[in-house]
Amino acid sequence: MSNRLAKISLPIWLTTIFGILMIIEFFFSMPKIVTDTNTLLRSWVTIVSAAALILGTLILTIAHVKRAYERKTGWYYSLIYIGSFVVAGALGLISVRETNFMWIFNNMTSPIGAALYSLTAFTITSAAFRVFRARNWKATVMLVTGFIVLMMLLPVGAAIFPPIVPIGEWIRSFPSSAGFRGMIIGISLGTIGLGVRIFLGRQKEHLGIREEKKEAS
Amino acid sequence: MSIIKKILDMDQRIIYLGMFIALAYPILSPVILPVAIQDYSTQAFNFAVSIPDGSYVLIEGGNAAATHPQCGPGLTANIYHLLTKQCKLVFFSITAEPAYWTQVEIDNALAKLPATVAAKNGVNWVNLGYISGGESGVAALAADIRSVVSKDHFGKPINDLPMMKDINSAKNFAAAFWWGGSEGSIPYGIRQLVGPYNLPMSGSCTTNEVPNYSPYVSSGQLKGLFGGIRGSAEYELLLKVPGPALAQAMATNIGGLYFLGLVLLGNILYLTQRLRGEK
Repeated sequence: MSNRLAKISLPIWLTTIFGILMIIEFFFSMPKIVTDTNTLLRSWVTIVSAAALILGTLILTIAHVKRAYERKTGWYYSLIYIGSFVVAGALGLISVRETNFMWIFNNMTSPIGAALYSLTAFTITSAAFRVFRARNWKATVMLVTGFIVLMMLLPVGAAIFPPIVPIGEWIRSFPSSAGFRGMIIGISLGTIGLGVRIFLGRQKEHLGIREEKKEAS
Repeated sequence: MSIIKKILDMDQRIIYLGMFIALAYPILSPVILPVAIQDYSTQAFNFAVSIPDGSYVLIEGGNAAATHPQCGPGLTANIYHLLTKQCKLVFFSITAEPAYWTQVEIDNALAKLPATVAAKNGVNWVNLGYISGGESGVAALAADIRSVVSKDHFGKPINDLPMMKDINSAKNFAAAFWWGGSEGSIPYGIRQLVGPYNLPMSGSCTTNEVPNYSPYVSSGQLKGLFGGIRGSAEYELLLKVPGPALAQAMATNIGGLYFLGLVLLGNILYLTQRLRGEK
């Protein structure tokens, strides 16, 4: 088998055949053999994804071990990662319902995650005070809209100024919804275009092939 | 330097301190203010009410450590609500960490339930745990549960669970709830459950993501949406089962007012500065 056939042509053909199989099942009633094949393929995806998770963890660990071994900048953070990985991994392998593993989750993962997310409240407030200004008419529209929607979202907003709720809900349901709908349609059309390009073999990045752009003559 | 310039260039640590006080005070000294119910929350609640008693309901639990404080109490209220309607619940998560948090939220709901409500694992609810594969995993689960998962979150074979005897695909469910809006996965549910199987679905996400999903609510693909801590508080209020969300929603009141006050102050001072011709 030639190198090109194995590395490029065959994966493109497989992608196209299985991709089309998945798409037609969505729109048409298909024979049992097709639906069974698709069910099997989808279950393969979950297995491959789980394997990819393990592979990703291994690659990350190897990178940290290498960094710590070579004493690169911030190598001590890598040691923290390796230590955490070994302890949590070992306890998790014993049992995810094991008390020590749950202790790590309840007393470390949970507060760290919540604290990290909560910090955005502080940084966004500081940033908004400095940047969220009515510098021109576009910024003024954004400021007024943001003010109304945030006021509407605050549980106390309606108690302070009752009309804020219908006004805010109108903004959310019409102008905001229309904008997001446009984005969703745009993304969907882009996804269809990308799919067609992959099926036709014009897009090869998913095979790890990065094609250089042809210079304009 | 003028006083206006000094305030506009205020040290960010002062702003942080103010925010800390605004958030901490209502938690330490709770003051319950009136809460107006949003239409998205009312729609989501009415959808839950409309599910026939005893139906099978599919629930995606997508809260992680970061989003659990906001959306977790809402999911707890949802589980409580559906179990009191004798619904049979099947949980799954499409990322690894939320599988743990979903079980925490199930346990919280079970602890609140009156002793008269049946809530036995394997009989009234099943947690399938983490399903890998993202959207493809959801599609596979919807088509054939047993092709994706053979054991539940606790390692019990699903074929040994009485509740799972008659269900194997999305066709067997009366409704779905997608509690992982904060991980951006609500469209997975819409594309893989609502579209192909016509399964009515409601969702939840963090407050900032509500506008992302509003087109799905207005198109009817989502039957309603609980947004962030306020959505969770509204669910507790509508259900008449007070929980942690109501207290936290009060903290967001003061924090949010502080935020709006600062933005307003910044703009007033900025405009004054401009009118005076200062730079």
